[in-house]
Amino acid sequence: MFLTRSEYDRGVNTFSPEGRLFQVEYAIEAIKLGSTTVGIRTPEGVVLGVEKRVQSPLLESSSIEKIMEIDAHLGCAMSGLTADARTMIDHARVTAQNHAFTYDERIKVESVTQAVCDLALRFGESVHDEDAMMSRPFGVALLIAGIDELGPQLYHTDPSGTFVRYDAKAIGSGSEAAQSELQDKWHKQITLQEAQILTLRVLKQVMEEKLDQHNVQLAQVTPTKGFEILDETRLQEVIEAM
Amino acid sequence: MPSIEQPQQRQFNPYSENGGTILAIAGADFSVIAGDTRQSEGYSIQTRYAPKVFRLTDRAVLAVNGFAADGNMFVKKVRQRLEWYRHAHAKDMPLRAIARLIQTMLYARRFFPFYVYNILGGIEEDGTGAVYSFDPVGSYEREACRAAGAAQSLVQPFLDNQIYFKNQLPAPGTSHPAHLPLSTVLSLVIDSFTSATERHIEVGDGLEIYIVFSKGSTSLQGLASVRGLQEVTTTDDGERVFVIRRELKKD
Repeated sequence: MFLTRSEYDRGVNTFSPEGRLFQVEYAIEAIKLGSTTVGIRTPEGVVLGVEKRVQSPLLESSSIEKIMEIDAHLGCAMSGLTADARTMIDHARVTAQNHAFTYDERIKVESVTQAVCDLALRFGESVHDEDAMMSRPFGVALLIAGIDELGPQLYHTDPSGTFVRYDAKAIGSGSEAAQSELQDKWHKQITLQEAQILTLRVLKQVMEEKLDQHNVQLAQVTPTKGFEILDETRLQEVIEAM
Repeated sequence: MPSIEQPQQRQFNPYSENGGTILAIAGADFSVIAGDTRQSEGYSIQTRYAPKVFRLTDRAVLAVNGFAADGNMFVKKVRQRLEWYRHAHAKDMPLRAIARLIQTMLYARRFFPFYVYNILGGIEEDGTGAVYSFDPVGSYEREACRAAGAAQSLVQPFLDNQIYFKNQLPAPGTSHPAHLPLSTVLSLVIDSFTSATERHIEVGDGLEIYIVFSKGSTSLQGLASVRGLQEVTTTDDGERVFVIRRELKKD
């Protein structure tokens, strides 16, 4: 398989004769190595959940940051090369702040998602003889959750710069099993609490370790409180309710 | 014999002042934005028909007064930004957002300002009538009424008295209304401009009155008998825009 790709999988901006960009496809593969991340949209808000892989008992699990705030009404969970997400979230935050500054209103979820995706294909781009800013595609996928005038929304972005809106979406290593579970259990009238529990159940199924308040993280975006990461006591309550 | 050089001074003034007056009044569920159409420089009339009031969207109308060239260019740039916004965000820019955009656009030219006073009128997201007024570098506030331009000093005190009821005491046991009905507002606008035309040489020729109604506004009925009325609505979102064109004295 790799023999036939030997020429065209090197250049980041060269199509193969079959019309494929291998580096982008490999980047999408990199996400499948990442920890499982789940997002669920409900009429009351959006829930995000991530698995934190605690590789060592000496590791401080609170230092693993896989859910981040973009703006008061926007949150984001990631899977893959999480370091790459910093660049994207930085850009999303600047875009959201600029929008609020210029228009005195909250940016729409789709608009901020579009802004992040505009970055995704900037690799290999250079102006005249200057060096390209990015040498490879991002190795991370994002679940962007937020609320705007169109209600609660969940978007998925991948390294190709494609974005799609979902009712519920799982990414990362356990995504296949998680996605089919979401497909079975999600329904239109799901409540926020049901979504929190479903998120944890789905994560529990695909996690190798026993799920507890240290190795998962939950966040939500609601109309009243906006984006918030659930602290360990609230997380503990959801785990007990599960 | 060498001549003794005297100090010399040269000057270029990139601005001129083209007269005219604009005014806007907010109702409970409508907004009225008006301006005369005379454009002058000194004692000369350059044209008797140069519009100063522009429909931006079906819920926003912008009146621009001051240096006409700057005003026209400014409206052009605002319209361009509205189109970009529509492409980026798949909706028309709300009135409040237009107001903030105008501030950032004006302040961006803090050190070579657009020599214009802007008044933005229209309907807010919550369906109320609104008026925003600006200075040339972007200070702005939402008000119930505002006059600007050559006859501001004649019209604004009249509006303060008739709309804010300044120096008027309510009859015992009653209070002043927060918003006036459309027919009263239209009468005040027309009276303001006929009076300004009488007393100010830079005001006259024509009058354009834009009226923006919110979705399902009951004030629409008051329009039936109005002379010289034309609808200029472009979408079927619910808000409706009308313009009344009238003559003013030309002397």
